[in-house]
Amino acid sequence: MKFLAGFAVVAALAFAPLAARADLKALEEAAKKEGELTWYVAHYTSEGAEELGRAFTKTYGIKVNVVRTTAQVAYQRLLQDMKNNQTICDVFSSTDLGHYARLKAEGKFDKYIPENAPKIDAAFRNFDPDGYYHPTAAGLVVLSYNSAKVKAEDAPKKWTDLLDIKWKGKVSTGHPAFSGYVGTWVLSMRKLYEWKYFDSLEKNKPQIGRSINDTVTALVAGERLVAAGADGSTLFSAARGNPLAINYPTDGAVLIISPSSIVKGTKHPNASRLFMEFLYSIEASEINVKHFGMPLRPEVAGGPGTQPLSKIKVIRPTVEEVEKGIPQVIEQWRDTFGN
Amino acid sequence: MAASSAGASRGSILRTGRWDATWLLWIAIIAILLILVVSPFVYLVLTSFQAEKTGDFTLSNYATAYGRARYIDALFNSLQLGAGAAILAGVFAIPLAWGVARTDMPGRGFTRMLVLATFITPPYTGAVAWILLAGPNAGWLNRFYMFATGAEAGPFNIYSFTGLVVVIALYSFPYIFIFTTAALELVSSEMEDAANILGAGTWRTMRRVTLPLALPAILGGLIICFLEAIALFASPAMIAIPARFNVVTTQLFQFFGNPVRVEVAAAYAMPLLGVTVLLILVQRLITSRKGFATLTGKGGERRPIRLGPWRWVVFGYAMLVATLSVFLPYVFLVQSSLAKAWGRGFSFDNLTLRNFNFVLFEHATAAQSVINSFLYAAAAATAAVLITLGIAYIVTRRLVPFAEVLGFLCVAPFVIPGVVLAIGFYAAYAPPPLSLYGTALILILAFTTRFLPIGYVNASAALRSLNPEMEEAVRVLGGSRVMALRRVVAPLLKRSLLGAWLLIFIPATRELSSAIFLYGPNTKVASVMIFDMSEEGNFEYLSALALILQLLTLPLLWIGQRALGRDFMLRRTST
Repeated sequence: MKFLAGFAVVAALAFAPLAARADLKALEEAAKKEGELTWYVAHYTSEGAEELGRAFTKTYGIKVNVVRTTAQVAYQRLLQDMKNNQTICDVFSSTDLGHYARLKAEGKFDKYIPENAPKIDAAFRNFDPDGYYHPTAAGLVVLSYNSAKVKAEDAPKKWTDLLDIKWKGKVSTGHPAFSGYVGTWVLSMRKLYEWKYFDSLEKNKPQIGRSINDTVTALVAGERLVAAGADGSTLFSAARGNPLAINYPTDGAVLIISPSSIVKGTKHPNASRLFMEFLYSIEASEINVKHFGMPLRPEVAGGPGTQPLSKIKVIRPTVEEVEKGIPQVIEQWRDTFGN
Repeated sequence: MAASSAGASRGSILRTGRWDATWLLWIAIIAILLILVVSPFVYLVLTSFQAEKTGDFTLSNYATAYGRARYIDALFNSLQLGAGAAILAGVFAIPLAWGVARTDMPGRGFTRMLVLATFITPPYTGAVAWILLAGPNAGWLNRFYMFATGAEAGPFNIYSFTGLVVVIALYSFPYIFIFTTAALELVSSEMEDAANILGAGTWRTMRRVTLPLALPAILGGLIICFLEAIALFASPAMIAIPARFNVVTTQLFQFFGNPVRVEVAAAYAMPLLGVTVLLILVQRLITSRKGFATLTGKGGERRPIRLGPWRWVVFGYAMLVATLSVFLPYVFLVQSSLAKAWGRGFSFDNLTLRNFNFVLFEHATAAQSVINSFLYAAAAATAAVLITLGIAYIVTRRLVPFAEVLGFLCVAPFVIPGVVLAIGFYAAYAPPPLSLYGTALILILAFTTRFLPIGYVNASAALRSLNPEMEEAVRVLGGSRVMALRRVVAPLLKRSLLGAWLLIFIPATRELSSAIFLYGPNTKVASVMIFDMSEEGNFEYLSALALILQLLTLPLLWIGQRALGRDFMLRRTST
């Protein structure tokens, strides 16, 4: 992951405490006895999440119940479980950083620092210094378009291009009340251009799906022509021969770093820990790259056609901004767009 | 007559006294009903007046629930949606029902088959198909229109209020069809003949004799459609969100979002309960005003009305409805399930079996979810049929004081949107001592409760058509009520009950709104799976899974037809 070399956000290299470390072999044995784990995941597309789950099962013989939903739905289900004093979810992988700040503060996570943590790219290390959540995926919100119907020179280059009247009835987005990617994107746009960005966008009557990956379907079908989409799912679909292309917005692609946590009270603590280790493995990074996600391990190169982060302008709200901001922008969004 | 037979029943209970073992059965059934309906219901009402953490009495939930224009709009949207969908479903269903049940229209069996095909299509599958058909830019209907006329844009937009009304009406009209044909088939031609002899033509006879006789059934169907439309969750989530308006169920889903505001949601669900009570009262008023027992144990003669050339018009209309609800949707569902990307259309390089492979073999939970759906639905259908038969018997024969209350409780779940029902359920049964959260049992209980109305409507309609004289004959001859039930009622209703079982089973295999908060990782059902897939707009996978679900329903239909005769789901034969 050479392209992350120049990207040095919060690269606090202070070595994490060794307290929670376990011998990996012993961990594997204990995990196998537990036999399964349940993974609430919003990080990847369904295909990506399922493939990671299958790979883990293949390596360790431990079943992964993959529950792939949008971030807010996963969070909502987790809260419902907790309200009923049930621990169903073992590993929680949302794309909304605010979830982690809140749940950590409420003491809902187990502390675990993966053995493999120092092996991932420096940019992602030591994300939560207390060791309750760890980045396990990263992706970008970018401008995407249907390349069969929109010429490259006409395609939007910066976020404000989506406001051009020529895209009226042609824009696709996800919904911040569902997708963590979209929520973070909306927050970033508000920070850059204030809410009036969305007042203007509303005039272009965007089609609002739920997951950010829904924009891919809308573009491929020709239902919409341009979108605020995720780089991974868009490029993955393009690699399958669909007419899609992306532009990294000149005013900043929104970087989403998505953590995972082990839920406190898990009935499969060892399987969960082993799974966290697995998410930091080279194999997991390779599967990620296959789905055009960013590899966390520096040994693995990014997918074809992806730009190194060092070469593009990237923006990213802080954890505090996300925690406070996403609930706000969801309400604002509903006021502006009607639901 | 109704009054005198009720009086007779009451007298006979007094005569047999408390030793009649049936009483134990009645008590058990009533207790089950209390568990299934009353306790989640009570919780719902209580919660609506409770402060979130403390549980103190408060009205603030109501203030929050109705404190924003957006929330109120959603309420009115739902009412309009229900009314629009019910009326449109009536427009689809009533001519078809009349054509099939009373006339010499060609293709009557074929029409029934198509209505059945519509009936077993889950609303969300229909909604997905219609997204493929009537997406404003990429929908196939619009593409054909643009191709044919050279226009820049097509006229159809599924992502609109009208779009949602049409989709819901298209997949709920079979309810009205079933109710109406059942009633029309019981009207003997003698009554129409009488009208004809007195000088009324075909049209006037239909208007003044046939339809009024079927009116209670039609209204029953309309009410079911209305309640179904306002309680649906998936179709609005798929269509109303992009169309940018809210209905009650999508709004409730928001209240369950972050932060979880169950109390507000409970308060928000109250007007819907009011609406149901009102509608049920209206329906009862209409039915009770004309106290007629249409089935007396001996059948009248029934002849089809000759329509002449008009029969082709009626047939054409039936085919038009079927094109919208079956032919077009399934063509494009199949296309999408076999496509690499559905929007790329019908070409060989777009063909693949990857979608089926993914949902059947690669996906960790999709195949299991289908199995779960069928198991839980079977358990729930069995429970619901037994319970509602008991309740309907108690109510129609007035075996206990205030029996109507029991009847009402059976119907009430229809209007508790599944999401709210689910919350009521797990408040009552998820925590210790029962700890049912995430178990199959809680889903089965919720499904049972949710489909009590269908069971009840069927059971009470069937029982009402049985003249109590037949049971009274048993009792006069010294038989107990149990014997009357076993030897007379059950054999007469055998077919009805099996029909009711399937009428519950099939929608239960596709039930989403109560499942969505009650499933656990090992109890995920196919509908939840499909809903999760719809979030990402994975219509190709989704179509594949939906078609698998449909294919699996077919053998059951076949079994039902072997056991009960063709069209068993749509026909209620006279004896």
